[in-house]
Parts: sequence; C-alpha cells; structure tokens
Amino acid sequence: MALILTTACGRNTDDKVLRVMLGSNVVSLDTSQAVDVSSFEVINDCMEGLLQILPNGQIIPGIAESYEVSPDGKTYTFHLRDAKWSNGDPVTADDFVFAWRRHCALANMYAFIMGKGVACIKNADDVMQGADPSTLGVAAPDPKTFIVELTAPVPFFPSLMAFPSFFPINEKFYNSLEKDTYGMTPDTYLYNGAFVITSYLPGSPNIQLKKNPLYWDAENVTLEDLHYQVVGSSDNALTAFRNKSLNLVTINGNQVEYVKNDPQLEKNLTVTLRGSLSYISFNQDPKNHHAGALANVNLRLAISNSIDRESLVKNYVMNGAEATYTVVPREFGPNAETGKFFSEDQDAYKNYVGHNPDKAKEYLAAAKSELGKDKIELLFTYANDSGDMTVKVVQAIKSQVERNLPGLTITLQPVTKAEYLSKVYNDDYDITLTNWMADYNDPMGFLMLWTTESCEVAEYWSNAEYDRLINECTTGSLVANYNARWQAMHDAEKIMMQEAVIAPLYTGASAMLLSENVSGIEFYTAGLVCVYKHAVVKKLED
Amino acid sequence: MLALLTLLVITFVLFVLIRIMPGNPFPIEKMTPEMILHKRAELGLDEPILIQFANYMSMLLHGSFGYGTSLYNGAPIKPILLICLENSAKIGGLSILFGTFAGLLLGITAALNRGKFLDGFCTIVSILGVCVPSYVFMIFLQYFFSFKIPFFPYFFDPSQFLFSSIMPALSLSMFAVSTVARFTRNEMVEVMNSDYVKLAESKGLYGFELLRKHVLRNAMIPVVTVIAPLVVGLLTGAMVLEKIYGINGIGKLMVDAIAGDGIDYNYVLALGILYSAMYIVVMLVLDIIYGILDPRISIAKEN
Repeated sequence: MALILTTACGRNTDDKVLRVMLGSNVVSLDTSQAVDVSSFEVINDCMEGLLQILPNGQIIPGIAESYEVSPDGKTYTFHLRDAKWSNGDPVTADDFVFAWRRHCALANMYAFIMGKGVACIKNADDVMQGADPSTLGVAAPDPKTFIVELTAPVPFFPSLMAFPSFFPINEKFYNSLEKDTYGMTPDTYLYNGAFVITSYLPGSPNIQLKKNPLYWDAENVTLEDLHYQVVGSSDNALTAFRNKSLNLVTINGNQVEYVKNDPQLEKNLTVTLRGSLSYISFNQDPKNHHAGALANVNLRLAISNSIDRESLVKNYVMNGAEATYTVVPREFGPNAETGKFFSEDQDAYKNYVGHNPDKAKEYLAAAKSELGKDKIELLFTYANDSGDMTVKVVQAIKSQVERNLPGLTITLQPVTKAEYLSKVYNDDYDITLTNWMADYNDPMGFLMLWTTESCEVAEYWSNAEYDRLINECTTGSLVANYNARWQAMHDAEKIMMQEAVIAPLYTGASAMLLSENVSGIEFYTAGLVCVYKHAVVKKLED
Repeated sequence: MLALLTLLVITFVLFVLIRIMPGNPFPIEKMTPEMILHKRAELGLDEPILIQFANYMSMLLHGSFGYGTSLYNGAPIKPILLICLENSAKIGGLSILFGTFAGLLLGITAALNRGKFLDGFCTIVSILGVCVPSYVFMIFLQYFFSFKIPFFPYFFDPSQFLFSSIMPALSLSMFAVSTVARFTRNEMVEVMNSDYVKLAESKGLYGFELLRKHVLRNAMIPVVTVIAPLVVGLLTGAMVLEKIYGINGIGKLMVDAIAGDGIDYNYVLALGILYSAMYIVVMLVLDIIYGILDPRISIAKEN
C-alpha cells in the first residue's frame, strides 16, 4: 500500500514554482488599504513604483527611468519609461497622480506616509482633512513626466518610492470596475510588476502568481510561478518545509534550536535582522491611576538597567534577534555617506542602559526616596494571543526585574490583542512590550514616534528639546544638511536614553528555512521582507 | 414566524454583547485620534445602541451585511462570506455524507452482532470519535498521509478541491460517525427487542425486509434528531481544522474576525446570524422529516 501511494504521490517538485509561506492573511491588495507585511509583500510582487530599492539600501530605477531633484530638494521630476499594465495600457504619470490623490483623500491608515514628517508632499495633510484632492502637490505635465512638490526636502524620499503606498493605479481600469471590487479578485486588479496574480480571494490561504510577460524587465525575471500559502502555526510550517510542500518558511525560536541540531536542516537556515525594535513602554502619564510612579526617571532607569538582554535573546527569543541598547535598532538606517548603520555603536549609551544590577538598585533607591514609597507595584499588560514568544519574554522580564529590584512587584496582565491595542491607546497600562517596525529605512522612522504630537505610541512623554531637534530634522534648518541632521538625530536619541523613555530590548529577526535548490531571493531589513523576481528554482533530484 | 422572532432576539443579544466586549472594532495602532473619531462616526458607533441596532436591521432587510470594521479593511462582507460559506459547506457536506453513511453501517453492524467482537470494535471506534477532536485527527492524517507518505497535499489546494477535501472531511466526520453509530446501535437494539418486531418475526418476516420495514424506520427517529445539529456543526466548519489545513472557510473567518488587531463587529454579527439561521432552518427541516418517518407525529401535532 505504502509503495503504491509513494509512486502516486503529488510531491511538489515541479520545475520553477516557488512556494512561500505567509505568516498571516493578505489584508488587501488595494495599496491604500493594505496595512500589513503580507499585503505589502504580495503587492510588491505584482506592482512597481517609480523607483526600486535593493537590500543594501541602494536605489535603482523602476517605472521611472531617471529623476531629477531641484537644488532646494523640494521638487522631484520623474521621467517614466515605456512600461505597460498587464492589459496592455501604458503606465503613465496620470496613473501615479490618480493613485496618490486617492491615497491621500481616502485618509486610511497609511495615508500618513504622504504627509508631514514623512514624504511631506505639498497639501497632503489638507487633502487628508478633506480638501480638494486636486490640490495635492503632484502633476503630470505629459504622460511620461511626473512632478512631485514637497514642503521640505526629505533625504529618504527616493527610497519611499519603492513603498507600496506610492504605487500607481490605472485610472481608466479602476473606473470601469463596480464599486468596492478593486483588488477583490485577480480580474479586478491590474498589474505593472514582475508577476500577475492568477488565484486570489479575500482571506484565501492560497495565492498564486505567475510571471508577467508585459513587465518592462521581464527578461530578467527567471521565476515562472510563485505560490503563497498562509500558514497559521509555525509547527505546521516546519513540517511543510520538511515535506517539501514549501520552499521558504519562517520558524520560531524553539524551532531554530531544533533545526540547529539537525545537520540536514541547519544548512537551510537563514537569519535576517528585521529593522524592528522590541522595547518596554513606560506609561508616564502622571494622571494614570497607578502609573504615576513611572513619571519618575530613576524608576525607569532602574528597570532598564535590571534586564539582561543577552539572556532574553539567547534563552527566550532564540530566533536570531540581537540585544539592543539604542532607540534605533541594529543594522538599520545606513548613513548615505559612510554606509555605517545609525546604531553601529551599541555602547554609546552604556551609562544609561544595560545589564547593571548594582546600578539598577541605586536608581531604585533614589526612585523610592523621591516617590516616598517603599513598595512599588506595576502592571505588565501584554497580548497573550501574539505568540508563545511574547509570553516567555514577558515572564522572563518580570523575573529578572523582580530579582534585581527588591520592593518592585510586577503583575502580569494578559489580554487579547484587540483589548491590548485599545488599552495602550487609552493609556490604560503601566508597562508593556511594544514591537515597532519602520516602513522606511531612516532613523526618523523610529525617532518620530516620541515627539509630543506623535500619537502612535503612547508613552506620554514630552520634552521640548527633543521636539525641537526632531523638528529641525524634518522641517527645520537641518533638512538640507545631511551630517548635521544625522548628528541631531543622535542627540535626540541620547535624550531618550538619558531619560529612559523606553527600555530597548532587542532588534527583531526572522529565521527562515530556504530550500537548497532555490537561490536569488532578496531579503530586506526594512519595509519589504522578500523580493522574489530574481529567484531561481532548480529542479530537485530525488 | 416564531423562527424569525428567535433570529431577531439572537441578533439583538449578539449586537449588544459584541459592543460590550473589551477591545476596538478596528486596528487603532496606526490611526490618529481624528481618524478614530472619523471612523467611529462613519460606523455610527456613537449613536445610542437602539438606533445602531435599528440601522443594522434596516441594512439586513435590504439584503446586505454591510462592511467589515477591521477585517480585509472594510471590504463588503457578503461576497467574502459567500465564498467562505461555500468552502465550508462543501467540506461539511462531504463529511456529513460520509459520517452518516459510515455511522449507520457501523451502528447496524454493531446491533446485529450485539455482544460479539464486532460490537466491541464499533463501540471503541465511536468512543474514539467522540473523545478525539477533529483537528487532532486532522494533524494525525496530515502527518501520516502527507508527510510520512506524501500522497495528499499538505495544505488545502482549491485547484484540486475534491482530492484535498478528503482529509479534512474525514477528520470532521469522525464525530458524526461515532454519534450516529452509537445512537443507531442503541435504538436498533431497543427496537429489535420490542414486541412489534417479535410479532413480525413470528409472522415469518426476517432478514433485510424486517430490518428495513420495521427496525430501521423506527430506530431512525432519534438518529435524525442527533444528525440535525451535527449538520449545522459540520456545515459551519471547524475553526481549528480550517486554520491548520488552510481552508478559506467560515470557521477560519470567525477566528480571524475575533482574534485580529480589532474585533470585526460586523463579521462576528453576520456569522452569528448565519449560524443561528442555519440552526433554525435545520430544525424546521427536522420537523418535516419526523413527519415522513412517522406519520403519527404530524397527526399528533395537528390535534
């Protein structure tokens, strides 16, 4: 019986199909509705923006053959190449104008990326507030020229052009569709990228793509078929990989340990740092019912110095994440001139952060006398459905902090993810574990979060000098001066570390298993995860 | 009429409950306070709850389930719900067919061989089926028949629907098999010991004819009663099973709607209404089947 079955088996070894795991459902193929890594990954496979970015941060031409920047850095002129949509229409500057206006006017979650502080497109914020979309600072004087006006020079503007929010939409095609059907099926979507989708439905765990023959660079796309499979659990992912049902899967920390003990699997392991930071948020709102204590800087420093980050990543995270002692994560935000990462020097703030139990006790003593309390109780709120690892890390932090800081008690409060987000939003927590990933590879993707007016992360901290430095970098005098801006960002980071606004823990990583017959996949540290168009799948010899 | 009233009450209770639940109806992580206010106003969440309910009902009466509040970023619910329902119903239907058929066979075999080895075997199978959840069967099948012996696809593959439905349908049907088998056996044993069967036997009726005309027909009434709720359970899908095998069904949809970054009010409601409606319909159909199996039931009701 077994023999017969084996010969009849449908083992997935057919040529040139790459089978990849997605960790979660694709939320939407509509660039102005997508908010998640899975959506961005699939959209990026089949759509292309003005420019493309390489894993090392280098910008290369995309739909735009070339571009010019005005001397003041506020006007970008893109010259489009002869690219085609998958229905044969030419990709024109008007398609970009239409998509960008729509993106701003819809004012969805990723609209912010066009506005103040990020892309700084002229009038973007007004359009988000309801102004006429035609006032947006974009223009198409002819079908091959696209002009963008900014309110301030943005050093990383070209890199944003590779982000899905800035991708075009074919206006004629969009208008020919029934309302609410854009991107719901492969037929109601138009492609200008390396692949076209052949099978997709909202929420479907299987998404199939094939090479787009009309893509302008089709001759350099080797991969014929790309199949995605949403896999709910990482145990399933590992078995599917061993079964050769999938060529590329993401695994968790426990599995990394298991894989390392298996010489056969170990050579398939690829670990990439992800440009995301996991950190402890301290709620510093003095009005918060029992969190008032955390407005005390010494208490925050005490906690930050009582955590052994090396042990956290080695014993609990285990997926290749690296202990981090800076606000901007490791291997993120390369300097355009030196090529060095912003946080290359991890010892820069060792006076304020690190594993120093003795210093932590001194900080705690100071905090106790300033607060006039001998016992401090804190609530540690976390989402219990965001994976086994979060729970382990939270428990480890609790035990490390309580061991090193006598008199401080941490009570764990596990809640569902939806409730967790709502608690953080309403400042209804003391400390919590936050994981932030920037959408663009610039330190500002992190430092922006802690300005007084930023509402994305709610530590309730405010510092005039910090605000001033960040403003100088985004809209003020430093925008055009690359090195001064870089220094100011370091100064701002230093303020945060001195005050222990957050306790950085580790830079996230993703541990993946990749079949040995696949090569050419590009792994990214920020924004995108993987790009597959140069992937090569060799036939397996069983 | 009563059925519609029941549905209305269920909808109202669900409507209120979901609004009391902690958490937000949309993912607020990357939203500004203005955006949240705007979104709340758009969804009408700031109105009094009775007005919200009235609005919701009027939307339902216009044949729409509205738009999602967080899932798939506010895409209209109906098309997605239909796709998922179709998948779940197909696999559920397969497992119902198999479950009833195998269950009957097992039950009849056991009853006819009461006290013998076959009876014991059938009992063990039915106990296993009741005790072991379907997703455990699924993992078992997945491990042996697509990992150890790579015959079936490891994940659900819509392009070979029937082939890749076999494993999930089999695992889902285990509970039905055992429930049906258990009831059939017990009822048959009881009926076979009854006076009218003994009378029929004494009149010279035996074998298949006796089984069909007298035993099965009478034994079926309680069996149909247990199959009915099973039908709903299977048609509505299995949450864990759909998640591990990657089936785009309504069980998975329910999990996604509740366990996402926001609780999707409208999906949870739509699914809740769908579940209840199906249950009510199945119960109605059940009443009709009773009448066919035993005409006395419908006569008694008329009186």
